[in-house]
Amino acid sequence: MSQTTLSSPVSEPRPGENTWIWLIKIVTGPLLIIVLGLHLAVNHYLGTMASGLMTYQDIIQYYQNPIIPTIEIIFLVTVVTHCLIGLRGIILDTNPSRNVLSIVTWLLVILGVSFVGYGIWLAVAIASQG
Amino acid sequence: MTETWNITLRVYRQKDGEAPHFDNFGMEVNPDEYVLDAVERVWAFHDRSICFRHACHHSTCGACGMRVNGAEKLTCITLIRDVTHNGATLKVEPLRNFPVVSDLAVDMGHFYRKMERVGARSVLPVPEAEIENPSREWKPEDAQYLRLSDCIECGLCISACPVMATTAEYLGPAPLAAAQDNGIRRKPALLSIVDCEDGVWRCHSVFECTTVCPSFVDPARRIMDLRKQVVGARFRKLFGKA
Amino acid sequence: MDITRNQPSAGRFWSWFIPIRRDIGSWAFALNRVTALGLTFYLFLHLVILGKLAQGPGAYDEFLVLTENPLIKLGEWAVAAAAVLHGLNGIRIILTSFGVGVTRQKQLFYGFMAIAIVVILFFTARMY
Repeated sequence: MSQTTLSSPVSEPRPGENTWIWLIKIVTGPLLIIVLGLHLAVNHYLGTMASGLMTYQDIIQYYQNPIIPTIEIIFLVTVVTHCLIGLRGIILDTNPSRNVLSIVTWLLVILGVSFVGYGIWLAVAIASQG
Repeated sequence: MTETWNITLRVYRQKDGEAPHFDNFGMEVNPDEYVLDAVERVWAFHDRSICFRHACHHSTCGACGMRVNGAEKLTCITLIRDVTHNGATLKVEPLRNFPVVSDLAVDMGHFYRKMERVGARSVLPVPEAEIENPSREWKPEDAQYLRLSDCIECGLCISACPVMATTAEYLGPAPLAAAQDNGIRRKPALLSIVDCEDGVWRCHSVFECTTVCPSFVDPARRIMDLRKQVVGARFRKLFGKA
Repeated sequence: MDITRNQPSAGRFWSWFIPIRRDIGSWAFALNRVTALGLTFYLFLHLVILGKLAQGPGAYDEFLVLTENPLIKLGEWAVAAAAVLHGLNGIRIILTSFGVGVTRQKQLFYGFMAIAIVVILFFTARMY
């Protein structure tokens, strides 16, 4: 974090965030609202449990339709992207140094790719249990 | 008969080498006086060491910005009766997010340099001045008439912005509003200055800047417009129509 | 001269979450940030828990019993409420970012929060 002194010059603009990153964040947002709405409705209303939640068997059966794991994976990619770009934005608000930002960005990318990879594996694993 | 209130003026004090603290001054005031009048009277009759900035006393110079009971105000146009009541305390502190030089006076240098960076215009041709309900349609020759920019560079918006609290590098509301006033089309060099983490994308639509602006700049609206300009410019560049 | 006081610093992030004496926009910002962090935490927790589905029916259905626990139910309610609030506030941000409703952004916020309350009441009734 840089300290402002009486004589410091105004810093050169830094490329930590730009139009495209912001656009991805705001495009994934509304997309999430739609997909999340569907996801919540299905997972809390269509299950055989009294509460509407799905049991293990409900989920396995549900995943036999290939559209379902496809939508869930799209949902996962969207939510992880939106979430991690947002988190990075919060960190950017604290004026991290170039090095710290670089480390944070890589960590978030690794985290994002890991979770999406894990999610794809899980969706395939569930679908194949039918 | 002039109304008289008895209030306590609680003034933030910070001198070189001393810990910050508040000094309380009991005083009689006319509630239709301004907060700046009260501060000046304390300086004149109680404590000549109080340091504060003031100049025009009619909201055109932007020098007297302070926090009054926690909220950013231009003290020369803030009536005492609007911010306190008889028998109460009136707390006066320096603006947030600027280094304190002494007591209520802050160092605005970094802010002024940001305004210079974006080429903030002090005067602009009347047709470009966004005057509400003009008396007639502007003609091309009206461009010879100049109007002072609404922004008086008082810094209240910088103080009120929650993002400015955590990063000094963010351009901030007033410089971004000045960039919008210039326009990306008119000054393409502004694109790289504002399309970055220190520019428009650091704004989180809090709108505090517009709330506290005493001069009708409406910085938040201008930042939103600047975003549109930036997105438009980037898409034009992408499709080769820059 | 100590000019470092009163200056921006990362350590002041707490001020984002305490919008005392600030206008409604600051409260909206604080709400959006709190819900964002809460939903992020929930997202990763949720993904980890779903791993039980790959361990067979026993592991997952055992977890389902937990969902009847009142504290867990309250947590789920909080997540759903957070999603509604964050989503609707996000729409306000997108709209104002493209110049829609900028001069009426407070009314936009109040309107969206009214919708949020209706939705929250709806699924609260459904859950309880």
